Amino acid sequence: MRPNTIALDSHAAATLRYIRASMEAAATLTVPGSAGIAMGLVGLVAALLTQTPALRPHWLGVWLCAAVLAAGVGGLVMARQAALQGFTFFGAPVRKLLLCLSPGLFAGAVLTLVLWHSGDLRDIPGTWLLLYGCALVAASAPTTRAVAVLGALFGALAVPAYLLSQSLQLITLGAGFGALHLAFGIFIGLRAHGHET
Amino acid sequence: MAMKPSARPRSEAPAAKRLKPAVVPGSQGAEDSSFDRLVYERVRLGIMSALAVREELTFSELKALFDVSDGNLSAHARKLEEARYVSCLKTFDGRRPKSVYRLTAAGRAALNRYLDHVEAVIKATRGA
Repeated sequence: MRPNTIALDSHAAATLRYIRASMEAAATLTVPGSAGIAMGLVGLVAALLTQTPALRPHWLGVWLCAAVLAAGVGGLVMARQAALQGFTFFGAPVRKLLLCLSPGLFAGAVLTLVLWHSGDLRDIPGTWLLLYGCALVAASAPTTRAVAVLGALFGALAVPAYLLSQSLQLITLGAGFGALHLAFGIFIGLRAHGHET
Repeated sequence: MAMKPSARPRSEAPAAKRLKPAVVPGSQGAEDSSFDRLVYERVRLGIMSALAVREELTFSELKALFDVSDGNLSAHARKLEEARYVSCLKTFDGRRPKSVYRLTAAGRAALNRYLDHVEAVIKATRGA
């Protein structure tokens, strides 16, 4: 076989790969900064509520309510963004995002139930931060790299959450689900704002 | 994680310069030759490929996708617009100008022709 024939063949294959990469990149879901900001605000409110003496004994219930509320708000904002991008709810990118998020969140829900049942509430904050971080890292596949960085930060925050006393554990929850979400949302929002033309 | 398509491939670019256009049966007409010049370019091919899977993309989204400068993207998009391969709707988002691009029927047909051409090149060379 002639050498130039092989080069031509590989060049055509590289062109096809480029076309595929362009299509995959265009089909990537954009995470809106507003989702992070909304979820972060819910987290900060929950953190502040659990610092009050009246609600501190009920921190688990407060944080579970906050989780449901934040998931609802974040989901709505994400769904709106997906619709703006022209994705349908059952389209491949949205389906991939849900599939990537689900295992980590499901494991978190099951472990919460197990730990609550065994009375081992001390391990719940660390488990939440760790598994939510894992879910975010997985969810970065159909979204953006910034989501993976956020997931890694949640994972890192899980370590002190396992080691600290309960009052400080609640602060790590606020730092993660409140401050980290908020900072991420502002960062994404500023970056998107900078790209507008 | 979806990889960002690089508009300038490291290994393929020098080879592409050395290579002569592929001679594939059924693709030697004047229309194909002008088509190749327009769509063969990396950024323009990327824009058309991205618009093939998304109903519309804004200028800023395309810029982020291909990591190119405003001027570079404008020039490529204008060429595609002049060929009527993409349409551009200029609006305002508040006070900010916003350009929204869509692939036209002619653009989709052109992309399909290009894909057929590339596949034919692969078949022809692998069959040789």
